Amino acid sequence: MNYLRIWLAGARYSIVRTLMFRFDFFLWAMVELFWMGVNLLLIQVIYEHTDTVAGWGKYEMLLLVGTSMIMQRFIMGFFWSNFFEMSRNIRTGNFDFFLAQPGNPLFMVTTRKIDPDSLANSLVALGVILYAAHKLNLHPGAGDIALYALLILCGLVIHYSILVMASSLTFWTTGGQGLEGSYFTLMEFSRLPREAFRGVSRVVFVWLLPVVIVSNVPVRTLLHGFDPALAGWLVVVSAAWLTLAVLVFHRGLRRYASASS
Amino acid sequence: MLSPLNKYRHAFLVGLQSNIVYRWNFLIRGFFSMFQLVIVFILWGAVYGGKADVGGFDFHATITYFVVLIVLQFFIGAFNEDYQISEEIRNGLINQFLLKPINYFCYRFSIFTSARVVSGSLVLVPLLVILPLIKDNLVFPHEGWRLALGLPAVALAGLIQFSIAYCFGLLTFWFLEIQGFVILSMAVESLLGGQMFPLDLMPAGLFRLAQFLPFYYQMYFPAAIFTGRIGLASATQGLGIQVVWALVLLAVNQLLWNRGLRRHTAVGG
Repeated sequence: MNYLRIWLAGARYSIVRTLMFRFDFFLWAMVELFWMGVNLLLIQVIYEHTDTVAGWGKYEMLLLVGTSMIMQRFIMGFFWSNFFEMSRNIRTGNFDFFLAQPGNPLFMVTTRKIDPDSLANSLVALGVILYAAHKLNLHPGAGDIALYALLILCGLVIHYSILVMASSLTFWTTGGQGLEGSYFTLMEFSRLPREAFRGVSRVVFVWLLPVVIVSNVPVRTLLHGFDPALAGWLVVVSAAWLTLAVLVFHRGLRRYASASS
Repeated sequence: MLSPLNKYRHAFLVGLQSNIVYRWNFLIRGFFSMFQLVIVFILWGAVYGGKADVGGFDFHATITYFVVLIVLQFFIGAFNEDYQISEEIRNGLINQFLLKPINYFCYRFSIFTSARVVSGSLVLVPLLVILPLIKDNLVFPHEGWRLALGLPAVALAGLIQFSIAYCFGLLTFWFLEIQGFVILSMAVESLLGGQMFPLDLMPAGLFRLAQFLPFYYQMYFPAAIFTGRIGLASATQGLGIQVVWALVLLAVNQLLWNRGLRRHTAVGG
C-alpha cells in the first residue's frame, strides 16, 4: 500500500512535468506513432506478396504485432526512462540518492518516473489489436480476455527482468553502452511468429531467451484458445527471469562503490 | 589551392585517430547488426516459405540486399553526427570555427569520412566471421556498369546521409533538444531508405513516388544497383536525381547555417 502511494506520487510528478513541456509530449508521441506505422507498413507490404508467413495470415500477424506493441508501450511508459537513468546514475554516483531512500532500492529506482506519451500510444496499439481481432472475427469471452491480459503481464515481467539485468551490467562494466540497441533488437524478435524459427534459432530465441514466447503465447491464446502447457511455461519462465534479475541486481549492488568524479 | 585541401586532410587524420579509440563500440555495433541479419533470415525465410520469388526476386537476392545494406550502413550511414554537431553548437565549441578560416561543414564532413573508414572496416570483421554461414546466399550480378555507377552512387549517398544529419544538428540553433526530431526522421529514413524492406516491393505508384524523395538515394539506390534490383536506365536516371538532391541538401545546409548563426549567441567556448 505504501509503495502504491509512492508510485502515485511519482506518476503525478511525471504528469505535471509533461504538462509543462507539452511540445515534447506531442513530439515524442509522434515519434512512437511513426515507428509503429513503419512496422505496420512492413506487414502490409509483406502480405501484398504472400498470404501466409509461417502459417500466419495477415490479421493474425497484425494481432501479434499489436500485442508486441502494447507491451513495448507499457515498458516504455512505465520503466524505460528509469532504466536509462539508472545506468547513468551508477556511473556518476548519483545512485546513492536511491540507496538512501527508505524502500526497496530496485522498486525506488525503476518506478520513479512514467512517460505519458508512451502510455497514450498504448491506446493506438490497443486499437491495432481490436482491429485485427475484429477482422479475424474473434469473440473472446471475459475469461479469455483476462487470460490474455495475465499473459501480457507475464511478458512485461520478462521484459522488465531483461532490462534490470542489462542495466545492472553497469555495476561491473561502468560502460553501459549498447543497452538500448540490444533491447530494441530483442523487441524485434517478439514481432515474429514462433513457427518461423527453426533449428538453432528456435532453441536460442524461443526456449533459451524468452523473447518470442512473450508475444506469441498471449496471441495464440486469443486465436486458438487456452493451452495450459504453453501458458504455464510462460508463467514459470517469467518467475524464473524475475528471480534471476533480482539476484543479479543485488549482486551488482554489492559491487557499487559510489563512484564519483 | 592545395592548402585548403591540406587543412581538411589533417582534420581527416585527426578524426581517424579519435575514431580508432572507439573501435570497440563500432565492433560491438557490428556484432549487433548480425542479430539484425538473423531477424532478416527468419522473417524473409518465412515469407518465402517454399515460394520461388517475391516481387520478382528470389530468397538469395533478398538476403544479399540486406547484407549489402548493413555494409553500406557502416561505410556511409550517419551514426551520431547530428548529436555531435548539436553538442558543439550548444556548448559553444563552434565559436572557434567562426574565428578561423575553416568551413564548418567541410571540417565535419572530413571527420565523418574518417569515422566511416573506421566503422566500415570494422563491420567487415563480424561479416567475415559469419561469411561461411551465409556465403551460399550471396548472389551478385556481374555487369561492369553496376560498379561504375554504384561507386559514385555510394559516395553521393554518403554525402546525402551526412547532409541530412548536419541539417538536424543545425536545428540546435532553434531548439534545445533535437533527439525527438532525429528519431522521428530515423523512422522515415529507415522506411523510405529501404531498410525495412526492399522499396521495390511497395505498390508501383508509391515506389515511383519514393524515387523523387532524398531518402531513396541515401541507402536503397546504391544497394539496388549492386544487387541487381534496378536496371541500367533507372540507375542512370537515378544518379541524375541523386546529384540534384545532394545539391539541394547542400544549399539547405548553407541556408540553415547562415540563418542559425544570426541567432547564435556564442555561449561558453
